[in-house]
Amino acid sequence: MGIIKAIANGIGTTLRKPRLLIILYVVNAVFALVAAFPFLALIQEDLGHSLLGSFVQPVDLMWLGEAVLEHQDSLMALLAGLAAAALVYLVLHIFLNAGIVGRLLDREGRATLPVFSADCGRYFWRFVRLFLVALIFYVLTLGIFMSLVSALFKPLAESAVTEWLPLILSNIHFLIALLLLSIVHMVVDYARIAVVADEERKVLKALRHALTFLRKRFFRAWAIYLLIVVLTVAGTVVFYALLGLFGTPGVPQVVAGLVLMQIYVLFRIWVRTVFVAAQAEFYRSHPY
Amino acid sequence: MKNRIIGACLILGAMLVLLPAPAMSGQTAPSPAAGAPGLRYEIWVELDAAGKMLLGKEEIVWTNPTKDAVPDMLLHLYWNAFKNEDSVFLREALAETMFASGSSPEDGDWGWIDITDIRLADGSDLKPALAFVTPDGPETEGDQTVARVLFPTPVQPGESVHLRIEFRSKVPRTVARSGYYRDSFFIGQWFPKPGVYEEGRGWNCHAYHQNSEFFADFADFVVHITVPRGFVVGSSGKASETRVDESAATTTTTYRQAMVHDFAWMADPRYLKVEREFVADREVAPKEYEDTAALLGLPLDEVRLPDVKMILLIAPEHKGQIERHFRALRAALKYYGLWYGPYPYETVTMVDPPFRTGSGGMEYPTLFTAGTNALASRNVLSPEGVIVHEFGHGYWYGLAANNEFEAAWLDEGFNTYSTGRVLAAAYGAGSFSLNFKGWPLDWFLRIPKTFDFELNRVAAINTVRFDPVTAWSWEFYNRGSYGANVYMRAATLLSTLEGLLGEPAWPRIMRTYHMRYRYKHPTKADFIGVVNEIAGKDLTWFFDELLDATRAFDYGVAGLSSVKVPRQLRGIYDTAGTREEWTDKKIEETAAAKAPEGGNPETLYRTTVVLRRYGEACIGGDARVKVLVRFKDGTTETRNWDGQARWTRLEIVKPVEAESAQIDPEGVWLIDENLANNSRGVDGTRRNVVKLMSQLLFTVQCLLHFVGSWS
Repeated sequence: MGIIKAIANGIGTTLRKPRLLIILYVVNAVFALVAAFPFLALIQEDLGHSLLGSFVQPVDLMWLGEAVLEHQDSLMALLAGLAAAALVYLVLHIFLNAGIVGRLLDREGRATLPVFSADCGRYFWRFVRLFLVALIFYVLTLGIFMSLVSALFKPLAESAVTEWLPLILSNIHFLIALLLLSIVHMVVDYARIAVVADEERKVLKALRHALTFLRKRFFRAWAIYLLIVVLTVAGTVVFYALLGLFGTPGVPQVVAGLVLMQIYVLFRIWVRTVFVAAQAEFYRSHPY
Repeated sequence: MKNRIIGACLILGAMLVLLPAPAMSGQTAPSPAAGAPGLRYEIWVELDAAGKMLLGKEEIVWTNPTKDAVPDMLLHLYWNAFKNEDSVFLREALAETMFASGSSPEDGDWGWIDITDIRLADGSDLKPALAFVTPDGPETEGDQTVARVLFPTPVQPGESVHLRIEFRSKVPRTVARSGYYRDSFFIGQWFPKPGVYEEGRGWNCHAYHQNSEFFADFADFVVHITVPRGFVVGSSGKASETRVDESAATTTTTYRQAMVHDFAWMADPRYLKVEREFVADREVAPKEYEDTAALLGLPLDEVRLPDVKMILLIAPEHKGQIERHFRALRAALKYYGLWYGPYPYETVTMVDPPFRTGSGGMEYPTLFTAGTNALASRNVLSPEGVIVHEFGHGYWYGLAANNEFEAAWLDEGFNTYSTGRVLAAAYGAGSFSLNFKGWPLDWFLRIPKTFDFELNRVAAINTVRFDPVTAWSWEFYNRGSYGANVYMRAATLLSTLEGLLGEPAWPRIMRTYHMRYRYKHPTKADFIGVVNEIAGKDLTWFFDELLDATRAFDYGVAGLSSVKVPRQLRGIYDTAGTREEWTDKKIEETAAAKAPEGGNPETLYRTTVVLRRYGEACIGGDARVKVLVRFKDGTTETRNWDGQARWTRLEIVKPVEAESAQIDPEGVWLIDENLANNSRGVDGTRRNVVKLMSQLLFTVQCLLHFVGSWS
């Protein structure tokens, strides 16, 4: 299967199963609302009755400075709460992801809540184990490999005559890190697909399936990955361009901005689902 | 008769209010051409670029300006701060809790200065009587940044002493301000320099501290700098002659400058040297001169600016930013000149700091270092901010030469305040500087634009509880508190004072203070004296409360309510010997009977505004907390509160409900640490708050989505 067809089929699959997107969106929105609630309450307390509330900007340094001072005692607790919420969300998302992959791989199957939940439960612990194994890969990539790259670059940077060389090296370093990260991320994605598609209970075996699969068609698989990244970036640019149009703060603009932001979140969730669906299509077209 | 007296009083009162603030006197300061009265230097220095060494000879002629007989001289040997980790500088740097990383040199990167010979002009050897002293703390053998030399006989009042010194120095790999990287050298605080002799107090000569800068007397300098041929040199002062020694492959240039208190230079074989003229008549329109003269109450001639030669030394990789550098310098020359007084020297040299010499953003008389990046955004006012600020130090510290060890706020605060004003006048607001991997993020994102005073305030309100602004430089809690207090908090307080006093008093205060203390060493008391004199009232409380103390300033509106006033309170009343009960029904009936035919009875509302002093700091003198109450029919009422108690309650009865109450509606009290509580509306949440909340929710949603994508 070609990469464009894999992406097109992936898009088709996600569009046929909009419930998956709705589930993910609702969970995201509700969880975000809960996690953000203490911050929203602080904003309401500080600005709800103040005339400053009519002028405050989304990134308002004057107000942010005094808000940090005003709430300095509770700030660490709030940020720790947010981090804890993110951690819980991560675990929850592992659970949901199991259902997503399960339903996307069952191309003709329905995406009802009971079936989705069953998939979540069936694959959850395998996905947890895979996540923990993936962590090792991320640490190896970012920690050890990138340290080696840094060590390689350091003598060059230290002997630089102008700022250009350190700047270029720093950017190359970052680019290498991003590309490596994308590769590891992609391998883990395929391992998840292998867990479901091959009904593989051992995650290391699933990882081996993924690596074997990718060894033969690495660049095509990577191209799928990178194309979808490009799609995400393009969507993000369009989103911010549109958001910029709502410059004047009026009630309709605020409402339109709010709606647009939610559409963007939905877009990101959809793109992430397309990622998995396209990769699943590609994997299935080349049986292990 | 009585009416006439009242009328006369009113006219007199009105005149006092309406008459302009006192026009300034004593606006002329001596010209540099007159030369420094008490101190002369002639220095011969040779740069050994390969060995990273300086070899120097120095002649110092010092005249005792006091009535004291002076038995000794204290000399700064600043580079010994980089000699070992027992120096005051490095001990403080290593103990620093903020911004401490990399403060100590790597092995082999140390710097030092040795006096190899010191004699009087008659040949008397003073070396045996030379000893290191630590004036700011316990004796430590490691600190050799101050040396004391004893004279054979005390220098009597009006008498001069002529010293001949030979010294050699190892240029440090940069720790602070001076140093080398490869073939690039920035040489500051490099020669043995006397402290400042203060009558009755002796030598004011502090060790080199991490959180402090410098203090020295005005002097006339002649400096002969020898560098390997091909090196481009930039220096304080004006180049007068250049000699090439073919056999030694060196070039020696002589620089002269009168009436400055320091001298710095740089050398780099790669650098570009560009010269431009600041032509005053091209930069300042006649109307600007007229407006400035009128505002300051000065003759037109006193506000006219001279032409100045601008010299830029810039790294080739920043060649594309040459005009950007000159534009910023022209703005600085113009506005500092118009506001505080004409730039008195013939040249100003601007140095793009050599790569990895750590010398950026530093001021020296007639020379300063800027700082830019290869990828510099046009929206971010950098290098402009650095250029304006460091040039500005030529005024605040260079000319009005306060003691930076003991009162850093007098230059850093004044100059941070001035920088913000110049940038606002010349450029408007600038984008907040955010970079990722060297890329300015405003190329990709919409970064909010801010004025300096806004950023200064953020730092100012967050630092008040640590230290008073007026603490000595090395006695601050940490480097963060030092920076935020002496730069930002001091600047914010000056902005507050500006708002409080307004025009024309404030610009006249700044001008008078600068010109009166040009070529002098002003103190806080001098500034307060000028403020009180020009403002015509005692504002000492402002300095006591907000600069010398660590009290937070926060007044706010704690409550606002607008309720119907009952036409009659219920209950039993004894009126004219009869007892009468007022019930709800009776009250309504009575009101209806009194109402105009066909209309409703007038409803009165009692608006209650509760004001609180949340902070410890109090306003004083004749300053008042102004309260503006807006009503739903568009009318307003203004009240004033002396702000002494912790709270007060104001009541206004009107036939209309209040809409909002706001203290400080003109935004005078920039130092107020909570502007959100300065106002209160009776309506609910405002749309910008909803927008802010939706943005926050969106950010958390994106954050969670990002986290989830790793699952």
